[in-house]
Amino acid sequence: MKKTIAILAAAVLTTAAFAVEIGKPAPDFTGTDITGKTIHLSDYKGKIVVIESYNSDCPYCHNHYASGAMQELQKDLAAKGVVWLIVDSVGQNNPSYRTPEQARQELADQKIIATAWIDDHSGAVGHLYDMKTTPHMFIVAADGTLAYEGAIDNRPVPFGDPRTAKNYVSAAVAELLAGKSVSIAQTKPYGCGVHYAN
Amino acid sequence: MRHLYLVLTACLGFAASVAQAAHTQAQLRWSVDTVKPGDTIWVGVDLKMESGWHTYWKNPGDAGQATEIQWQLPPGVTAGEIQWPLPNKLPPAEVTTYGYLDEVVLLIPLTVATNAPAGPLNLAAKVSWLECKDSCIPASTNVQGTLEVAGETKASADAPQLQTWKSKTPQGNTAFNFQAGWQSAANTDTRPLVIEGTPLAGTATTVEKADFFPDANDNYEIQSATEKIDAPTGFQLLKTVKKFSGGWPKQISGTVVVEGNGQRRGFEVVLPVADTAPTIETAAATANPAAANPTDANGAAPMAAQTLWHMLIFAFIGGLILNIMPCVLPVIALKILGFVSEAKSEPRRVRNLGLIYALGVLLSFLALASVVIGVKTAGHHAGWGMQFGSPIFIVCLATLVTLVALNLFGIFEVTLGGRALDTAGELASKHGAPGAFFNGVLATVLATPCTAPFLGAALGFAFAQSAAVIVLIFLTVGLGLASPYILLSWNPAWLKFLPKPGAWMEKFKIAMGFPMLATVVWLFNVAASSYGKNVLWLGIFLVVVALAAWVFGEFVQRGRSRKGVALAVALILLGGGYAFALEKELDWRAPYVEAGPAGSLKESAEGIDWQRWSPEAVAAAHAAGRPVLVDFTADWCLTCQVNKKTSIEIPTVRAKLKELNAVALLGDYTHFPDAITTELSRYHRAGVPLVVLYPKDASAPAIVLPEVLTPGIVLDGLSRAAD
Repeated sequence: MKKTIAILAAAVLTTAAFAVEIGKPAPDFTGTDITGKTIHLSDYKGKIVVIESYNSDCPYCHNHYASGAMQELQKDLAAKGVVWLIVDSVGQNNPSYRTPEQARQELADQKIIATAWIDDHSGAVGHLYDMKTTPHMFIVAADGTLAYEGAIDNRPVPFGDPRTAKNYVSAAVAELLAGKSVSIAQTKPYGCGVHYAN
Repeated sequence: MRHLYLVLTACLGFAASVAQAAHTQAQLRWSVDTVKPGDTIWVGVDLKMESGWHTYWKNPGDAGQATEIQWQLPPGVTAGEIQWPLPNKLPPAEVTTYGYLDEVVLLIPLTVATNAPAGPLNLAAKVSWLECKDSCIPASTNVQGTLEVAGETKASADAPQLQTWKSKTPQGNTAFNFQAGWQSAANTDTRPLVIEGTPLAGTATTVEKADFFPDANDNYEIQSATEKIDAPTGFQLLKTVKKFSGGWPKQISGTVVVEGNGQRRGFEVVLPVADTAPTIETAAATANPAAANPTDANGAAPMAAQTLWHMLIFAFIGGLILNIMPCVLPVIALKILGFVSEAKSEPRRVRNLGLIYALGVLLSFLALASVVIGVKTAGHHAGWGMQFGSPIFIVCLATLVTLVALNLFGIFEVTLGGRALDTAGELASKHGAPGAFFNGVLATVLATPCTAPFLGAALGFAFAQSAAVIVLIFLTVGLGLASPYILLSWNPAWLKFLPKPGAWMEKFKIAMGFPMLATVVWLFNVAASSYGKNVLWLGIFLVVVALAAWVFGEFVQRGRSRKGVALAVALILLGGGYAFALEKELDWRAPYVEAGPAGSLKESAEGIDWQRWSPEAVAAAHAAGRPVLVDFTADWCLTCQVNKKTSIEIPTVRAKLKELNAVALLGDYTHFPDAITTELSRYHRAGVPLVVLYPKDASAPAIVLPEVLTPGIVLDGLSRAAD
């Protein structure tokens, strides 16, 4: 355990230097979605891609879905041709880990509208993007550069109605669709820590 | 407990189910049983977490949420801000949070109005927290209690416990001077920040660990990873600031946590962020006005002065130790000879020679200090032994030391007034004033490629200081170097153990020429790194110089006739050798420096697999979770070479490096690259050797090994780095 912490500590120090950067090309990744399909970020070149670090057992995520606010946003953006990728980086030993089967069930039960749910239990995508919390949001612009990174909204609490908050993701996507630059491109993500493996 | 009761109630509605699932229990604790109107008492919210569960500090860090307390207070009672005991950094490192495991008591000051009527006051609070282990659960509970207002304030049974928790909250800072500054320009959305702590005067402070826990801020985040660097007069914390919006912060706030002497103390700070990283110099500068303030004369010695005293003592001891460092050893031969030949002289003369020797040392150090000041003023990096980075200097010195060796061999004589001296009886005068002075200069010149224990700290300090302090420190080092000989010449009686002067001295003198030859071989090797294979021509030049010296000694100084012809031959040899070997073949003033080969710098098949040092290489090794050994060394640094032979490039260390899967990086300072000068100054060193170990736990501070190594020091350091 100590060793792995040390490795992770080292990883953090260096990711600080190499982490994804606003305005720079978002690093490509390869993942497997819960239907077994292989997903590359580069598959969606030319489209706006929203990436959500997900764990519905986390009360912050849970509140966004239980209130239905997240699904509304997903539906709205899907109608505008925006790709939504869920990245679930919870490690396999964590009680919040979902097998692909459980995940498919949860996707249906929660009426989640996502292009794909990536089973990232190795943490590869999470680490690549230095995902800190659930939910930690990323938006990749149509040209493949990172346009937004941070919290979903300005209301860092696990209860109440998220619709009353300023939603950074919906604002940023609206600006991108209007051909404008994103005015708030970076915020501090809130939520539970991502429960990575080890 | 007679006067108050504590009730834990589950929250209503939604919260009720949460309370059942909660792994944390909340409870109020009071510092008093009864309180007098007008007094302020402490109330504690005691959170007990099940094993492995944690709750959060006021800044939760990368994730999580601070515990909140909402009071419902009757009229006449007001609650102050929560006093947070120092939290711990909680893993995993990639999502580092600040929080509490097992138990924490959050302290709140409650003030009872002066007009509060006697009798019970009912107090209630809603405490909300986020508790996390493998998952996170938000929970809240209502706590309540009754406070009895009476004629006197009486401590409760819980008072000592609350006091213990109170002692874990940040304290008034009487121990350190803290400063913050940007280490360098911004890197898109991150920027390195340095926070420096310097112990205030009169505080004997051991700092084993130190860290900075920032206050939360929406516009930027001071990331959790910390690199602690020990400075001779304190410590520096390297942090990374990530900006979300707006400009770079002009000031930062948070808690500096210092551990040492079995204590863990926190100091709340609000620090303006300077455009440049704080240095010892600026720390001293800010302390000076306070010291100059007469109203501040409360017995505390000015910090700068105290530091300076420390450093002067270090400089003196370091200079003293320089006498036995490998670079200076050849010169010792000369000094021994000098003393032997002077043993029978009158005490006054011996004393004078001792002083002249010291003068030679001091003037040389003064010259060195001027060069350092000049280089610094010109805006370049200055470093101890930097002249050894100049091949021209090496060639001159190699020639000079060759001549010294030949002189000791008796090939030629150094004469005054044009008279040759060749009997032992006359030796004394040869080692007269100019000889003593020259010895002093030579000792200094040869001492510069070394740093010695204590000297590293003093020089590292000096190089960041004003011109006056540089001169002072340098002269003190010189004084340390010369002191044994001054002492001996003051007490010639101590020299009685030396044999009487006689014919043996001529033999001894010749024998002492050999260490000088060894020095030439070493300098030749240093030159090889600048000239590559062409260094052959330096060797040939030295042989020609030797030949010219022989012709001069044998046919000019000791010759009977045709001295003019002999002198001409010697000069032609010298001139020809210089023109052909040095100018034409070696092109000595325009050395080419071989670009270092990439990949391994391994010295032998089973040797350590050295890689070239760079900050990126250190970062890459950190990323791979491997401990790192960095050896900053130089061909001209004899201490470095000795360290390598005795304590680094040895089977046990090789095996240990393999076992720990450690990365070995070699920082070659031979040609004085700026990148390494900068890195050395980060560790407050002005020269090599510097051996640094980076633990594989990247958040742990780097381990700086002493200047002189033993296998035990290196192995022990490696073990610590692997923890």
